[in-house]
Amino acid sequence: MRRACLALSLGLLGLAPAAVRADLVYVLNSGDASISVIESSTREEVRRIPVLREVHHLIPTLDGRELIVGDSVANELIFIDPATAEVTRREKLSNPYHLEHSPDGKHLVITSLRRDQVDIYDAPTRTLLARLKVPDKPSHLAYTPDSRVVFVTLQGARGLMAIDLQDRKPLWTAQVGSQPAGVIWHRGRLLVGIMGADHVAVVNPADGRLERTIPVGRGAHTIFPSPDGKTLYATSRVDSRVTALDAETLEPRDRWDIPGGPDCMSFDPQGRIWMTLRWIARIAVLDPATGAVETIPVGRSPHGIYVHPRREPLPAAGTEPFVATAEPALAPAKAGQDAPTPQPAVWQRDPVR
Amino acid sequence: MNAIADLYAGFTGWLFEHALQPWLYAAGLMDWAEDIYEWLDFALFGLIGIAVVWLVCRPLEAWRPVEPVADRRAIRTDILYTALTRLGLLPLIAFVFLATMQSAWEGWLTENGLLPPTLEELVPALRDHPVLAFTCYVVILDFGEYWRHRAQHRFRWWWALHEIHHAQRQMTFWTDDRNHLLDDVIAALWFGGIALLIGVPPGQFPLVVLLLRLAESLSHANVRLDYGWLGERLLVSPRFHRLHHGVLSAGASGKNYAVLLPVWDWVFGTADFQRKTYLPTGVPEGPEALATGGWLRQQVVGLRRMVAAIRGR
Repeated sequence: MRRACLALSLGLLGLAPAAVRADLVYVLNSGDASISVIESSTREEVRRIPVLREVHHLIPTLDGRELIVGDSVANELIFIDPATAEVTRREKLSNPYHLEHSPDGKHLVITSLRRDQVDIYDAPTRTLLARLKVPDKPSHLAYTPDSRVVFVTLQGARGLMAIDLQDRKPLWTAQVGSQPAGVIWHRGRLLVGIMGADHVAVVNPADGRLERTIPVGRGAHTIFPSPDGKTLYATSRVDSRVTALDAETLEPRDRWDIPGGPDCMSFDPQGRIWMTLRWIARIAVLDPATGAVETIPVGRSPHGIYVHPRREPLPAAGTEPFVATAEPALAPAKAGQDAPTPQPAVWQRDPVR
Repeated sequence: MNAIADLYAGFTGWLFEHALQPWLYAAGLMDWAEDIYEWLDFALFGLIGIAVVWLVCRPLEAWRPVEPVADRRAIRTDILYTALTRLGLLPLIAFVFLATMQSAWEGWLTENGLLPPTLEELVPALRDHPVLAFTCYVVILDFGEYWRHRAQHRFRWWWALHEIHHAQRQMTFWTDDRNHLLDDVIAALWFGGIALLIGVPPGQFPLVVLLLRLAESLSHANVRLDYGWLGERLLVSPRFHRLHHGVLSAGASGKNYAVLLPVWDWVFGTADFQRKTYLPTGVPEGPEALATGGWLRQQVVGLRRMVAAIRGR
């Protein structure tokens, strides 16, 4: 309240400093059943949203107005207004671990790591269309740009499975390496983080054939494309490292050692990378331009992360009427400067076809 | 408090990253990284639990002991029991094993169009009050422990195992973990099963275990201590629990079964609030090996007696 009054006074006097962004950062604390809401300008946790059991991944709704958080052990989806950090509703749903909408918005595919199943839902209604029993530990997923096929890593079975979304049946299952975790579609190929090894596997999506490997560090986990599509960032849990790959050549370009087990990432409008550090109950903010890293405490075993662009700090819960400051209310930004970026929840579907 | 949590997280993270994760990677077990990370909490909470209990109970036992220490060897055996139990291996195995079973069970239910409710769905107010929910978990689990304890005394085969715990004549705070291995396994399955049934979040489970273990250790301490008329009815004291271990309370004729909250004994008519009574402990008619034998000897004799009880001998 005091902060809001001060900002209002300064604004009326024309003394307000040049706008400092106050994006909201959502962090899913899988180890202590909560969601931390961090304000990017102060680096402070402004809310702690309790959840029931284990939250791992999140995505925006198709219209972008809400976040969908999967609480796997509680069999529940939690919907959050990203501008206000309010929980808007909850839905019962079987064991949602990793989830992603298809690019055409028709399907929502959800993996259930503990139950060895992949569920295909009608995205707008979340009606279950098919449930596939699959080999050990289906983990992460990615789509073809035409939304016809979804690829799922099988963490406990060294595998990658392609599933046809039209007839909802597996097309092929291929061995890609020990404990495959993250997977993305990238320029006609699949990139798979091989957690039991030190590389990202480049896989042919037609038949699952392994074409080459890109060394990134032991415990290779997930890969995230930068908002401009020029760089891929890969996390390695054992070496605790982030490696920047050239999106064109896939050659390593840069790397940062960040202790704590970097896992999921999200990008803020300034191009900084916010990432969860799985083993030390912190998140890190990495500026890839300068290499500067700072960390912020959150809850236990933070996993999924999402940056929601905002101009102003979030008012304290229940103190005053909320003044809409979400991205649609922002003044148009100059191209390439401060433009709001569509944020990947876990990772972004590749904009490059 | 946040600073302590941050410090703890930093320490466990360092330990995991430098001691456990490289080993998991080398052994091709990265698939289990998150489970092992959770186990670390059990192990560390176990060690912290031992340290806290020692710091609290040792001065109390020196201050007002119920009886002088006459048999240090018997105490050393109890210390070995504590070390074996408190690293949290059994509760973890039970939790991981049961979590897998629960996954399969819930998977089957959802196949048939059912999604099992959580405690918070049955009592919606708990959803927004994690501390209250945590308290409810503790109360429910404590209630479960009361009835498990009743069953340990009620069934002859189970009493044959549990008798090891009661055979100690030199009871100290170390005595809490003096249990037959099989009894520990049953206890872990019982406790872990209830925890999963009511849906204790995995991250909170080690904390619940730590809390109950601290209360149990204190209740076994060799200290002349009660909590007053009201306190005795709210929390299990060393006086309250020593009466349970008294020579008159062995087998099915027991009193004061509660672990944390005496209210269960009160409600079910097994409470004895005679505050000034500190009886000698042990099982007079039991075999000497259970009282003064080493760890292995006690395990073997306990198992034999259980088999004999099942065969009706």
